[in-house]
Amino acid sequence: MMRGAPSQHVSGTRTMVNFRRRIGVVAVLITLAGSQAHAADPVANPKLTARIDDLLEQQWQADGIEPTRPTSDAEFLRRVSLDLTGVTPTVSAVRDFLADTDPAKRSKLIDRLLDSRRHAVHFARIWREVMLPSSTNEQFRLGAAAPFERWLEQQFVDNRPYDETVRELLVTTGQVNAVGPALFYQAVQFKPEELAASTSRTFLGVQIQCAQCHDHPFDQWTQKDFWGFAAHFAQLRRPDDVAQFRGLVVDTGTGEVMLPDTDVVVQPRLLDGRHLDEALTAGTRREQLARWLASADNPWFARATVNRVWALLFGRGFVDPVDDFGQHNHPSHPELLDLLARDFADHDFDMRRLLRVLTRTRAYQLSSEVTYDAARRRHAFAAMSVKSLSADQIYDCLQRVTGNRLLSSGPPSSSDVAARRAFLAKFDAPTQQVTEFQGGIPQALAMLNGQVVADASHWEKSDLLVAVTDSPFFSNAERLEILFLAALSRMPTDDERNRFEEYIAVPGGEFEASRRLADVLWALINSSEFILNH
Amino acid sequence: MTINRHSTRGRTACPVAATLSRRGLLRATLGGLAGAGACGWMPAFAERFADDPQRTRHCVLLWMAGGPSQIDTFDLKPGHANGGEFKEIETTVPGLRFSEHLPRLAQLADHMAILRGMSTAEGDHGRGTYLMHTGRPPEGPIRYPTIGAAVSKELSDATAPLPGFVTVAAGQTFNRAAFQSGFLGPRHAPLAVAARNDVRSLQQIEADQDFARLEIEDLGPPAEVGLGQAARRARLLQELQSDFTARHVGGASAMHHTTVQRAIQMVHSDAADAFDLTTEPDAVREMYGRGRFGQGCLLARRLIERGVPFVEVVLGDQGGWDTHTANFPSVAALSAELDAGWASLMEELNDRGLLESTTILWMGEFGRTPRINGNAGRDHFPQAWTSVLAGGGINGGQAYGQTDAGGMTVVDGALSVDDLLATLCGAVGVNSRKQNISEVGRPIRIVDGKPVSELLSDPIVDPPAAEES
Repeated sequence: MMRGAPSQHVSGTRTMVNFRRRIGVVAVLITLAGSQAHAADPVANPKLTARIDDLLEQQWQADGIEPTRPTSDAEFLRRVSLDLTGVTPTVSAVRDFLADTDPAKRSKLIDRLLDSRRHAVHFARIWREVMLPSSTNEQFRLGAAAPFERWLEQQFVDNRPYDETVRELLVTTGQVNAVGPALFYQAVQFKPEELAASTSRTFLGVQIQCAQCHDHPFDQWTQKDFWGFAAHFAQLRRPDDVAQFRGLVVDTGTGEVMLPDTDVVVQPRLLDGRHLDEALTAGTRREQLARWLASADNPWFARATVNRVWALLFGRGFVDPVDDFGQHNHPSHPELLDLLARDFADHDFDMRRLLRVLTRTRAYQLSSEVTYDAARRRHAFAAMSVKSLSADQIYDCLQRVTGNRLLSSGPPSSSDVAARRAFLAKFDAPTQQVTEFQGGIPQALAMLNGQVVADASHWEKSDLLVAVTDSPFFSNAERLEILFLAALSRMPTDDERNRFEEYIAVPGGEFEASRRLADVLWALINSSEFILNH
Repeated sequence: MTINRHSTRGRTACPVAATLSRRGLLRATLGGLAGAGACGWMPAFAERFADDPQRTRHCVLLWMAGGPSQIDTFDLKPGHANGGEFKEIETTVPGLRFSEHLPRLAQLADHMAILRGMSTAEGDHGRGTYLMHTGRPPEGPIRYPTIGAAVSKELSDATAPLPGFVTVAAGQTFNRAAFQSGFLGPRHAPLAVAARNDVRSLQQIEADQDFARLEIEDLGPPAEVGLGQAARRARLLQELQSDFTARHVGGASAMHHTTVQRAIQMVHSDAADAFDLTTEPDAVREMYGRGRFGQGCLLARRLIERGVPFVEVVLGDQGGWDTHTANFPSVAALSAELDAGWASLMEELNDRGLLESTTILWMGEFGRTPRINGNAGRDHFPQAWTSVLAGGGINGGQAYGQTDAGGMTVVDGALSVDDLLATLCGAVGVNSRKQNISEVGRPIRIVDGKPVSELLSDPIVDPPAAEES
């Protein structure tokens, strides 16, 4: 009854589109030769990488900790692709990488990933989560967060020095819905105390907000520190000035903060105790703050940033949680933290350089396989932590497995947006604690039985499965291989080959074979190996 | 290959009954997948229940979406111009009177504390829904967890066969975040049971002599996946899992593995029978009411019997209580549903000795204007309204708080949302001052208010000083 003429028409169109896409998929699946041309390694910094390796190794020896084995090529490729671009590699990318005999192929891969648009897209998402409170995710996901994310994406495309990006955010002016970084202010309703809390936590890694109402119970911060910091945001025009506001981020030149329940005005004061000296007093209060905050002179900025990036790659920071530096929470590897912070500041806060250095370390390239002494080895970075994927990463990996092309940028179709949004709403989790799996029974059921996975592993809806099944020139062994490469970015083991080939090779012809392949893909997608970064 | 091309488009309706019979067959074929402990847990569980003096406490939140009219339910103003059409009736508690449309609840009034002094500051549906579910206005950087997530986190057992928090018929109208686990993360999010493929009105369901069909999202495999196929898939997954989990001990991999096992165990074990309302006699099902709310209350009873600590059941999901026009016929109809579902739930829990360990909270996002508007309706009114606490831990048989003759202001016993939710925590033995670490690193109490000792049957002697996290 529901299937009238219009839906027939739609399905006809879809079939044609699918047909064209499938041809593309087959072409990609059988392509073995990839482009191997690379620019020469631009910033090889073997010295710093070696120094990091030395420091960690000394610590392991001192503590009697045994590092795990190095990753295989396939393990490394999957991990570094997820960490730097947010998604698993394509089947052909895995094949190319495994076949590549260049001894420098890992470094070259890192450079390639860092230069890709996907890297900018992925890091823009991560930094949006870092910079905006998660309460804004829902309301702004499709609204003002889009310009914010596009602005961030451009920063990463250009590899703009991180201090410049942060300064631009801190001094931005303009219309909140048009100027990307303006959302930083709107998200907390332009409140000086919220801006003080989020700015110090996000960029300096310190929690001064406990000092909002009283001196901090176990850290150094006083109530005056907090409000002195907040005073830098006191002269923004507030939305409660209804007549004047007009949705603009603008400094008015007037406005002060007072200690709560008093008339005591607090003047701007930096967290290192300095009042603004003459070199810093030019311009608006926000400009004054920005010049100090995002600079090499600031004792927290570089340390907080490298610690956050380390945690992104290794699952936990030297200081953990990453936004809680202080006397009460000493870094696990102080010398390493200082080394990285100094290097980051000395090299123009170059984010790509930092990522390049860290992903080349021995520690980053250690296997995550541990069967004993697991927690201790993980904390010592002598074994890679197994990390949860973000909701975005899971969704993109599912798209990749189905053979759907990932939109690197630009507006996706409305049905894609709706599907993605529903999925993200279900799997969205706070960004901290990536070393824990965040999902519960509803998320597990959605993976086992839900629509997105059902479609991704459907013998007629998955472009990958259709391409694999319909191509007569593939043997079952090859079909199996493609499914493993697509879902887990590795070849099946001998044992898996035996078991799964036997599973696929049943009588029943093409009909049964396509369903058996779908079963294998479903099981791969539901495995821990798929949904975790290891 | 093409024969199924069209039939697989979209998902076929898959009501619980059908899903469960599919599941029953699956269970037979799956054998040990969910582990040996999966079968026959129910008797052992019931035993543990009866013996344990500190036995599990439960909570049922009856959420009235749209904002129910206090003057037409629990705080009537007979003889006043604001009073409206409904008459008062006596309850089992002398002097305590309800609307004539709540006759069965009137017989249970000794279990109920009517909180007539509710006073809040949010008159918008979305903001009010968030405020009442989290105890905080929707502002600032923190995503506060819904009260069901925060309380079930304290009460639930991570190894239990069923999840700790289930919502029924919650379409999350007005404010999605109000129904979510916020900074506690998806691990504490509710398992949602809803009438996804049953859009019939109550009248239509009654005309069909049928019951609302409630389904758990994603409980069974998609329609296009056959029974044998689903069983084979689960075995394949098991093989893959055991290898990876053994090579990556602890951490995220162990947590993922456990979660998937729990989900599979729930689908394939007796536990999911809790959701199969067809095993209840028709007379019982009818007593609760044939609609989503009534069947939801029945489901709540079944879940509580099986140890689920927190169940939220929604009445009027599309804003049914938002009676700006034609208030009286709407409230009469909703009251009939409310009376049947809620009274049956309390009666049956009481019969089973479970009412004393189950606290029930009835509320909406705000009340409604005492003054009747030009469309015979009532508008939003957060200044003075009513909620109800009932059952375990509650000092029942009282009206707490009072409004003036016209119902315009609270004259005694004003109650804020924090104090209301803190009292709920007190009744179920949860320390409302317990702190969780929010996504901005700030420790956040479950709620900031204080339990009202007059409302608790075992008043908290000394609010615990310790605020662990």
